[in-house]
Amino acid sequence: MTKKTFTKVYCLSLAIPLLLLVFPLFTLGNRSTPLVLGLPFSMFWVLFWIVITFLIVLVLYRLDPDKDEEEVS
Amino acid sequence: MADWKIAMIIMIGYLVVALFIGVLAGRNQDKGSLDEFAVAGGKLGLFVMWFLMGGAVFSAFSFLGAPGWAYSKGAPALYIITYTAFAILPWYIIGPKIGKIGRAYNIYTVSGFLKKRYNSRALPILIGLIALFASIQYLATQMKGMAYIFNIMTEGRIPFWLGALVSYGIVVVYVATGGLRAAAWSDVFQGLLMIIISWVVGLAIVNQLHSSVSGMFTDLIAAKPGFLEIGSEGSFMSSTAYTSTILVSVIGFLMWPHLFSKSYASNARTIKKTVLVYPVFALFLVPLLLVGFAAANVVDSTAIGSPDEILPYLITAVLSLPGWIYGLVGAGALAAAMSSADAITHSASLEFTDGVIKNVKTDISNKTTLLLMRVGVFIIGGLAYFITVFGGQGLIALLLGAYGSIVQFAPGVYGALYSKRITGPAVISGLLIGTVVNYYFQLVASSTPFDLHAGILGLLCNIVIVVVVSAFTQSKDVQVVADEYRSISG
Repeated sequence: MTKKTFTKVYCLSLAIPLLLLVFPLFTLGNRSTPLVLGLPFSMFWVLFWIVITFLIVLVLYRLDPDKDEEEVS
Repeated sequence: MADWKIAMIIMIGYLVVALFIGVLAGRNQDKGSLDEFAVAGGKLGLFVMWFLMGGAVFSAFSFLGAPGWAYSKGAPALYIITYTAFAILPWYIIGPKIGKIGRAYNIYTVSGFLKKRYNSRALPILIGLIALFASIQYLATQMKGMAYIFNIMTEGRIPFWLGALVSYGIVVVYVATGGLRAAAWSDVFQGLLMIIISWVVGLAIVNQLHSSVSGMFTDLIAAKPGFLEIGSEGSFMSSTAYTSTILVSVIGFLMWPHLFSKSYASNARTIKKTVLVYPVFALFLVPLLLVGFAAANVVDSTAIGSPDEILPYLITAVLSLPGWIYGLVGAGALAAAMSSADAITHSASLEFTDGVIKNVKTDISNKTTLLLMRVGVFIIGGLAYFITVFGGQGLIALLLGAYGSIVQFAPGVYGALYSKRITGPAVISGLLIGTVVNYYFQLVASSTPFDLHAGILGLLCNIVIVVVVSAFTQSKDVQVVADEYRSISG
């Protein structure tokens, strides 16, 4: 994967969870019931997508063609 | 021994350790090096960097403001964890670029970054001034938090002015002597402390007030329908306000000089790894929200002065907790406030010296610059202290107010990284209009169109102006630098 493609993939794959946490898409999670793991659904929804985001970034880092770049200074 | 005495001993013990670590970290480093003072020689490691970035976001706002929001507004408090998790993510892409440009041109501030690309002296002066005002506002909120916590945990025996003076005085001393390295190492200690304390105390409070977490929420939903939703009947925030507040915080976050200039303090790999582990910080905020929710059904809002006081109020007045818990919460809140205050004081001094002073009087040597930066730490500290003790406003209004103006740097920064058509005059006019619009809607107008955040309205005007003015002010002078900025960053 080239650097340019990576940047695109990075931006797109992280925009998805962000969009799910703001309106209009947050409507899907914006309700107090049912309780999941003891938490109101809205709070669970936010935490769930944050954990997913964390996992996405981990995968992206592995794909990054540039991660071990040593700078020539 | 009385509870307040134990609390005071623990808090003072904490302050002594914080001072010790800060001063020790800056020892044995080159005292005459501007590079060391400004960006720790560009060599901070992952562990320290993670806490430095985390400590900056984990502020008095998280410790007092987050439970306050959850208590008084309910679900809108979720905006805090959402933006904390997402705001760092663009850094993975732009941080290494900014770092490389900085090393190529010997830049260590936001103003320096924009000055070089847009070939303007007015722009860095403007940035330096906005950064100074925003930082002082931000510092004032941290200091208020520290003073307040000292006051309430010692049951009023340490007056407001003294609490602020002692705790912030320590920050000023270690930042002025040790620069960024001192701030970074004290953040490691402060970060660890507040994470542990927020979990221990947060869960203890929920358990004392309610049977279980789910029991607590079931009662809350029954008593206040809509409280745990956004924009519904009974909710305290509209969907547009919620969304635009998250967006303005996400875009504005990295424009803060104290975060932006960390791009210069580390290499690409460390920056990327910091981003990688960062969302975990958002989860650390969860117990603090639970504290607020736990109180929502229990504490009558007329019993406390402002929602920000809910956590200390619970500990001292509602629950009968032992004195050492007072002390721990006090130390945790002090740590949260101090770890933000040190980074901000440091960067405000850098931005003002590099952006304003060096462009008004251009013939200043590196040695004098360094001296000015050290002195600046004391002056900025003094100003912020003065405003804290004599001025007033709620914690969160202050923070969001400053945020609104900082986010206006974004078009200039992204323009420098990704476009060769954006020009200096365009960025300056956009910045001015954006800041004015933000202030108008925040301080003068009683409501905003569609209930959008004032900062977003300013940003929209800012972007339009930048694009339009750029089309009319193309010149050949800056083409070379513009191309270099884009090619260095790859």
